[in-house]
Amino acid sequence: MDVESYTDLIPLIFLGVVFFIVAVSALYWTAKKGQFRNFDSQAKTIFTEEEPEGEVSDSFPTKQK
Amino acid sequence: MSESSSNSQHESPYSTHSEAVRAELSEIDTSIRSAALFFVISAISWLMLGTIFALLAAFKAHEPDFASTFEFLTFGRVRSAHLNAMALGWGNNIIFAVGLWIMARLCRAPIHHKGILLIAGIFWNIGLSVGIFGILRGDITSVEWLEIPHYATPLLAISYALIGVWGVMAFRFRKGDHVYVSQWYILAALFWFPWLYVVAQIMIIWFPARGVVQSVTNWWFAHNVLGLWFTPMALATAYYLIPKVLGRPIYSYYLSVLGFWALAIFYNWAGVHHLIGGPIPVWLISAGIVASVMMVIPVIVVGINHHMSVVGLHKEVWRSPTLRFVVFGAISYTLVSLIGSAMALRTVNQITHFTHFTVGHAHHGVYAFFTMIMFGGVYYMMPRLLKREWPSAGLIKIHFWCCAIGITIMVVALQVGGWIQGLEMNNAEIPFLETVQNTIPWLKARSVSGVFLTVGHIAFAINFFWMLFAAGALRAKQGPTLLDHSKEGDIA
Repeated sequence: MDVESYTDLIPLIFLGVVFFIVAVSALYWTAKKGQFRNFDSQAKTIFTEEEPEGEVSDSFPTKQK
Repeated sequence: MSESSSNSQHESPYSTHSEAVRAELSEIDTSIRSAALFFVISAISWLMLGTIFALLAAFKAHEPDFASTFEFLTFGRVRSAHLNAMALGWGNNIIFAVGLWIMARLCRAPIHHKGILLIAGIFWNIGLSVGIFGILRGDITSVEWLEIPHYATPLLAISYALIGVWGVMAFRFRKGDHVYVSQWYILAALFWFPWLYVVAQIMIIWFPARGVVQSVTNWWFAHNVLGLWFTPMALATAYYLIPKVLGRPIYSYYLSVLGFWALAIFYNWAGVHHLIGGPIPVWLISAGIVASVMMVIPVIVVGINHHMSVVGLHKEVWRSPTLRFVVFGAISYTLVSLIGSAMALRTVNQITHFTHFTVGHAHHGVYAFFTMIMFGGVYYMMPRLLKREWPSAGLIKIHFWCCAIGITIMVVALQVGGWIQGLEMNNAEIPFLETVQNTIPWLKARSVSGVFLTVGHIAFAINFFWMLFAAGALRAKQGPTLLDHSKEGDIA
């Protein structure tokens, strides 16, 4: 590969850098918004009054008769 | 757990007659029902069509004369039609259904203007149909994973943008401050996929870059479709369904967040390992290899987290159609990712490159991991959308066993056969033709595995359409696939 053709890689390298900056910015935003605190309570946000913790909610269908 | 299980018999929201108790979830489920149903129907249709293409391609690999008189059924076209039908037809449609449904539920925000979502979905499938017809017609591009001809891709890009925006909007108008890890994965994937697709289209098809830069872009795209689109969507589904079905929070939320961020930072670099030995700068390949090995971190983190979340509840996992598939997929994720990291090492790649080992690896990831988890997602979602039971437990078991056995045969056959093929190709004393002939028994085993998978898919499709159309007879007495201890039958 001659030296000149390295310039073809510039857009890709630029994209990689942009991607990395976006990822780090998102990480910063997340930390600032407090998403890295209270891990125990965050794990329980999928449970609601309608589908509470401690209840198995799926099994093979039983016969209707 | 036993206390809460006994509570569930008396206080289950599904067994109550009071609609108000589950009003919020019902509103969200109802808001996405028509769009989700459309996407699942489309996904299953593409799955069946993709299976036919797969069987043809697999069979032609060891019987090259089979159906060779038809141009549109030549190996190159059928194989690419299979890939695109499965990836963009089955994969994307099922992601749009399950991913958007989980996103809406976790954001506690109903989907608005669902008509536009539905229209975008129709255009996605029209674009894909045109694209696959184009492939069979011979307008195929020579770029792997981007074979769809240029006249179909703008329609795909625009309709995707309209669909992806819905997930982002649900996130924007979410209730509550907490963002669950599944939301992270889905939101990130919704950004990653259009970025990958549009950049690859621009740099390879619309305004082609020079020389090997196209190859670098090609494999950056192709590998990231799996790593930054299918993988996060499947992990989001697993992170939602494993704790949800078991009624027990994920083992370590801290680890799940660590896993997400490690994937976000490392995976993007990994695709270049497809070009090990190729004529591109060595540092670029080395960076790809380092990133591939660094992926061990999120993989181990996710593996530990999922394993610890189901410890002690294996019986419940086995009794749940959803979790049978999801846990099979989660285990496959650990295995396929560790094998993938090993394959990126130069010494290993020297053997596996240009062999069937890679094909086995791709199916291990896209099928044993992604597709199995999505099957689980459909088994959990559909009863809640339609408020009906699945009509047949037997068909679910046939589906599970055929797919589990089929994909295991395929991965083992292609990877063992591929490894032997690689060793033989590196031996200058063995003529090339002999190395090709020696793969035939393994390719026949792959066709056998295809028959298993086909039977599984037929069972799945029958059960789904039976549930969809046989409305009256299957209305749930107690609610969707609810564990009813008094009626528990034998579970095979």
